Amino acid sequence: MGVAGDPPYLSIRRLTKRFGSFTALDDVSLDVFAREFVVFLGPSGCGKTTLLRAIAGLDIQTSGSIHQGGRDVSMLPPAERDFGIVFQSYALFPNLSVTDNVGYGLVSRGASKAEIKARVSELLALVGLPDSGAKYPSQLSGGQQQRVALARALAISPGLLLLDEPLSALDARVRQHLRQELKELQRKLGITTIMVTHDQEEALALADRIVVMNHGVIDQVGSPTEIYRKPASPFVADFVGTMNFLKGAVSEAGMVAIGGRRFRVDGLNGMAPGTAALVCIRPEDVKTRNVEPGTENALEVEVRSLEFLGSFARARLVPSDGAELDLVADFSINLLRDLRVEPGIRLPVALPPDRLRAFPQ
Amino acid sequence: MTTATAPLVRPKASRDDLIMRGGLVLFAAVLLVIVALPLWSLLSKSFQDHNGNFIGFANYLRYVQTPALFQSFWNSLFIAVITTSIVVPLAFVYAYALTRSCMRFKALFQGLALIPILAPSLLPALSLIYLFGNQGLLKGWLFGQPVYGPVGIIAAQVFYCFPHALMILVTALSMADQRLYESADALGASRLRKFLTVTLPGAKYGLISTSFVIFTLVITDFGIAKVVGGRFNVLATDIYKQVIGQQNFEMGAVVGVILLVPALLSFAVDRIVARRQVAQLSARAVPFEPKPRRARDLALTIFCLVIGLMIFAVFAVAVWASFITFWPYNLTLTLKNYEFGNFDPLGWGVYWNSLLMASATAVFGTALVFLGAYLVEKSNRFGIGRGFVHLLAMIPLAVPGLVLGLSYIFFFNMKGNPLNVLYGTMAILVVNTVAHFYTVSHLTAMTALKQLDAEFEAVSASLKVPVWRTFFRVTVPICLPAILDVAIYLFVNAMTTVSAVIFLYSSETKLAALAIVNMDESGFTAGAAGMATVIAVTSAAVKLAQLGLSRLLSRTQAWRKR
Ligand SMILES: Nc1ncnc2c1ncn2[C@@H]1O[C@H](COP(=O)(O)OP(=O)(O)O)[C@@H](O)[C@H]1O
Ligand SMILES: [Mg+2]
Repeated sequence: MGVAGDPPYLSIRRLTKRFGSFTALDDVSLDVFAREFVVFLGPSGCGKTTLLRAIAGLDIQTSGSIHQGGRDVSMLPPAERDFGIVFQSYALFPNLSVTDNVGYGLVSRGASKAEIKARVSELLALVGLPDSGAKYPSQLSGGQQQRVALARALAISPGLLLLDEPLSALDARVRQHLRQELKELQRKLGITTIMVTHDQEEALALADRIVVMNHGVIDQVGSPTEIYRKPASPFVADFVGTMNFLKGAVSEAGMVAIGGRRFRVDGLNGMAPGTAALVCIRPEDVKTRNVEPGTENALEVEVRSLEFLGSFARARLVPSDGAELDLVADFSINLLRDLRVEPGIRLPVALPPDRLRAFPQ
Repeated sequence: MTTATAPLVRPKASRDDLIMRGGLVLFAAVLLVIVALPLWSLLSKSFQDHNGNFIGFANYLRYVQTPALFQSFWNSLFIAVITTSIVVPLAFVYAYALTRSCMRFKALFQGLALIPILAPSLLPALSLIYLFGNQGLLKGWLFGQPVYGPVGIIAAQVFYCFPHALMILVTALSMADQRLYESADALGASRLRKFLTVTLPGAKYGLISTSFVIFTLVITDFGIAKVVGGRFNVLATDIYKQVIGQQNFEMGAVVGVILLVPALLSFAVDRIVARRQVAQLSARAVPFEPKPRRARDLALTIFCLVIGLMIFAVFAVAVWASFITFWPYNLTLTLKNYEFGNFDPLGWGVYWNSLLMASATAVFGTALVFLGAYLVEKSNRFGIGRGFVHLLAMIPLAVPGLVLGLSYIFFFNMKGNPLNVLYGTMAILVVNTVAHFYTVSHLTAMTALKQLDAEFEAVSASLKVPVWRTFFRVTVPICLPAILDVAIYLFVNAMTTVSAVIFLYSSETKLAALAIVNMDESGFTAGAAGMATVIAVTSAAVKLAQLGLSRLLSRTQAWRKR
């Protein structure tokens, strides 16, 4: 993975893309480092595919520049850039066998028959389909087709791999499995990879860095942990993972008043007293063990309902004194057993100051 | 926000882009020459006197003021309105039976109804003459009325137009949404109410479109009026008389321009309708499944049986008559009517001419059409070029064959046009026929290309594979069935067409369908019927071959199996 200080492999500067009067990408800048796995994450229609296609040269930006490997590729057509791409539809050639699909890009580079054959077998082995060379795409499952598309893109050893929602057409189980394989393959090959997805779980599992996009702009760039722990905006906080949003107002330095209570908030980002604030906390960060009378940000709540979700349960909590402060908290099954939590019981919980983040409302 | 001054990126065109843009420019030039420029010369001719001086609307004025000419306008209108109002309801019921009932033998009925497409429009006219003409078998049925004239024209047109109306209406009626009927059921709607509130509105656009198509077909058809029209003049025969009979090219051009009006109108309506129709059927619609209902199914079966048998009978009469020694006095069978040398100097030569012309049209036309559609559909950017070529490709649909043929006379005969070496050759017949049937072929190819994954070209570009390689290796093989469709469509139409080529043939390049007109004119009706039969058999054989070939494709090409 790239180290800060290395020149970026891909450098996008002030990219804007308009379709008529509609602005699909608005002044986007981004660096991608060599061997990095970067994921563009955002809701449908936010411009992820548009950005990916601009990088590929398939839909060239209205203004702004792209440098790849030190070369200005801003105006170049796809054929003069260096990338392999897997589309959501895979776009496998239905009339060609798997072997011919994978070898499609090799034939026109003047490789000999034997070389092509060797390379194709190598690639098919790499993606775990060593025996499917003679089949046609329609005879393969969705997951297998996805691997063939990947092998075809990798065949010409591109410097950059672009993946547009490569897993979204698959069912959940296959998706999880392929996710792991994709990650391992990318590590093994060390190929700089950009993937587009609207699935935050997928992004968190795969990415070295996540680029969260919204309405044609980049909201935040960061490692999965950063994105999850320190979302830069309410949008990111809401889009990635589950989040409690509590409305309040900054009362004094480091304190926010919510529903008649005052909470210490570490992540106040220097908001001035009197500012309306949106305070966030993840359900799993609501503390229930070892909450004692002196614990900071503690309150007594009543369990309204419990939703069993396998290894944990999601509880809806309301303050016992009836204040306006609805919370969702995740309790491990262990904890449920230890504290005998069930709907209707009351228990003390705390909102740890270092887990609370506030945004101006 | 970006500042307004951010420099715009000027994308560099790739080698592929340049090839495809060059292709589009070339295509625009070709279509200009084979479609637009000839029409332009027709239009200008209609504003000129004999010596080529511009005289404004004088020719038009003379046309309107000459009762003998202007009467044809009303005659054509009359024939077209009556035929349309007979054909459309009949075809609607037939299409309804094929799509919305549980009638049996649907494939058979559909096949029966499509028979007239195989032969030139002259064939039903010949049959009517055999049945109701001066020596007609059933002459008495007309109570002494002559079949030559409006009655004969309308009757023959009804047979000829029926399959064309049926095809559009079957398409319109098969696009039904089961859910609409289910909600109507849930609301307790009666059958009549369901028909009036769901079925009819759903088929509304199809009906409008069909009416205009049939109206145009009738107004622009030449063969039927020529054979069975007698002294009843219509626009289509007027053009022929003005140009071939009186060598009055300017008046011919005027009639040609007038003939363009209904065709253009119909074209415009069809475009508007097509745009609305798209929105009608959402992707989530559930295809309609008819439920059996004995009384209705039986009634529809009888209806289809009557119509189907009549179509078959009309077809069969001409075929039968072509084997008769001396209609109607000596009904023994003979092959002498197939010794075409007795009726035409070229004899069977006209048939070989037709085969050659149709094959060349199918081969070159299909290649041209498919390549053109590919360039329009798959080129990057260059919207102007793509739009222009597409527009040019749509024009022939609005141009009746007679008008196109006449335009060719003017354009390819022009002094100083280097292309006038083509005049009188087989090549001009091929070029003209390709142009004549360009639009439907173009649309068929476009539809097939639109169904391909839009990213094939993007994938190829990323793999640095040149676009022509993907075209031959992927696009063409996948589109083979559609390519075959286009080729057969061009072939069959080239075999049966009369209207455009009648102005363009020479004594050596006479075609079979044209020989029918000549033989009929010279009183060799049996020979004409024989030639019509030969053409119909050829078309049928080609259609069957297509069926076999597509079966073969889906059986031998493993990847087509799903
Ligand atoms: N060719 C196009 N013409 C017009 N609008 C487009 C085009 N391609 C994309 N858009 C619009 O740009 C926005 C971003 O699209 P896209 O990048 O495909 O979103 P996503 O994040 O789901 O991949 C959408 O609102 C889409 O409607
Ligand atoms: Mg997308």
